[in-house]
Amino acid sequence: MIEVKSESWIPVKQVSFSQRLARFTGLQWLLLFVPFGYIFILMFFSMADFFKLSFFDEDGFTLEYISHIFSTDVYLKVLWLTLKISFLVTVFSLIFAYPLAYMLVSTKSNLWKKIIFSAVLIPFWISLLVRTFSWTILLRKNGVINTILLDLGIIDHPLELIYNTTGVVIAMTHILLPYMVLSLYSVMAGIDQRLLQAAQGMGARPWKAFIQVFFPLSIPGLLSGSLLVFVMGIGYFITPALLGGTNTTMISMLIESNINTTLNWHMASALALVLFVTTLILLFIPLLLTGKNPVLKELE
Amino acid sequence: MTKTKIFMSVLMTILALIIAGCSSGASGGGGDKKDKDLVVVDWGGPYTDIHKKTVFEPFEKKYGVKVTVVTPPDVGKLKSMVESGNVEWDVVSVGDDFAIRGGREGLLEKLDFNVIKTDGLPKELVHDYAVPENVFSTVIAYNTDTFPKGEHPKNWTDVWDVKKFPGARGLYKDPMWTLEAALLADGVEPEKLYPLDVDRAFKKLDKIKDEVKVWWTAGAQPPEILATNEVPISSAWGGRITSARDGGAPVEVEFNQGLILSNSWAVPKGAPNKDLAMKFIAFSLEPKQQAALSMKYDNAPANANAVALLSDEVKNRLGLGQSSSQLDNQVYINTSWWVDNYVKVNERFQQWLLE
Repeated sequence: MIEVKSESWIPVKQVSFSQRLARFTGLQWLLLFVPFGYIFILMFFSMADFFKLSFFDEDGFTLEYISHIFSTDVYLKVLWLTLKISFLVTVFSLIFAYPLAYMLVSTKSNLWKKIIFSAVLIPFWISLLVRTFSWTILLRKNGVINTILLDLGIIDHPLELIYNTTGVVIAMTHILLPYMVLSLYSVMAGIDQRLLQAAQGMGARPWKAFIQVFFPLSIPGLLSGSLLVFVMGIGYFITPALLGGTNTTMISMLIESNINTTLNWHMASALALVLFVTTLILLFIPLLLTGKNPVLKELE
Repeated sequence: MTKTKIFMSVLMTILALIIAGCSSGASGGGGDKKDKDLVVVDWGGPYTDIHKKTVFEPFEKKYGVKVTVVTPPDVGKLKSMVESGNVEWDVVSVGDDFAIRGGREGLLEKLDFNVIKTDGLPKELVHDYAVPENVFSTVIAYNTDTFPKGEHPKNWTDVWDVKKFPGARGLYKDPMWTLEAALLADGVEPEKLYPLDVDRAFKKLDKIKDEVKVWWTAGAQPPEILATNEVPISSAWGGRITSARDGGAPVEVEFNQGLILSNSWAVPKGAPNKDLAMKFIAFSLEPKQQAALSMKYDNAPANANAVALLSDEVKNRLGLGQSSSQLDNQVYINTSWWVDNYVKVNERFQQWLLE
């Protein structure tokens, strides 16, 4: 009797705790529902609650705030500037990040990999405000960059690098670059380098192998990186405030002023809603355009 | 069938837990601590460090209470605290503009003037919901290498005069202060400034727009752009420039036609220790505490009775002049005009910047 009992216990003990847990029906749903509830309640619920302010004030339903945005030039102009600056930042960070990420996956030297990674990641951990102020030292009239260029005789007059769109785009590109590099790198690292060798073995020149094989395979990273940078760029506040000029007012500054200065939360909510909808529409367009890309289809 | 049931019950449990969590959070805060613990919300940095030594700690000793300092006074947060009935703050250091808006929106308690004595305070800045603790001004600031003291711009008209004082300019990226500066530059008498002639101000601003290189948004910017001569003349908050000057930067201020604003005390509606808050405000307005703060920080005392306690050197540093009447050549910002007109004027200002 005793022997039989001990025998029947052994297999049960061998089943690990997590496997035993997995036998409960519905438990795997719990794993899904905890984060889902977290996101849904904390984010969408509060967002909906905030957006409600755009349409409802003390007197009930109103379109006053939304229509005010569309009937006053300044808001649409600022929205346009916001999108323009974010777009420029996305393009420039893509131009700088792509070669960096490519270098990261193609280089055999561990030392280079470490150098590139630290160059990308160390600034990432430094406070945004500190980095923004450091740019003023580099970019101003008698700053580092202008002094070097003047001393080398490349320019006669200091370049206008700060307190305008140029300064904002330079600094924001630098700040958002790590997101682009890491997105590209994560996808590029998964591309089988032997495909390139195969293409070259079959007679393709290196650049053709790159354009026809490597580049299309890297598009998912390119898209996710661009979306990340663009969406983060839209919400930027400190950098354009400190490095910008007359033409760099971004919509988050107007939202902040409505929240914290005039306490007009209805207007802040309406502005945030317009920005949110515009972003959704803009994100939808590339999704439609790239729907035919075979690499992306495969991902679905 | 059973799967769906389990699923639903799990979901309901989570929902119930979340809802329960929310409500238990709201009913926190002990009753026995009442009027023993005061939460003061302040601006942080060196200002708060000096504030602690000169006001908060003496108050703790005198009343045997504990002052907890929270930074910064985010008025958006104050609004949501009051609206959700979850007020954790007792006294908040705010701009006078917020005090008026907050009072109108029902976010603030009326101050108890039986406890708080207002003699010596500028009547322009005292109202039902706030009293000024100290004042600071937006002044003309300049680089002393480009314009040695004595040959510097002495009023806003000089600031606008790019022939006499060549070089780029810096102005605050906000209509408040900037419109006043434009009107004073255009020759409007300080007493006749309000209500502001907005059209005239924008016309005057048009004349200098091309010369304004930096539209600053943070108080730390003017000392930096002036010291590096990025712009030789800028509007600035006085204390920022005098502390840069004392640190060796080639910058100086002209207090003439400075535009005065206050750091005021306000009490959020439903503050847990309202009575102690009133006592705290009264204490901070006593000449002794007022003078102690201004000896160490570049804001002038709001209480004129404190000026007599300051040394000549400090008076000079604060732009108080040698006369005992406070801030002779400066102008009080009419915050209630701004509260009524800010939204419209700011929209026009932002639009004007983009043109």
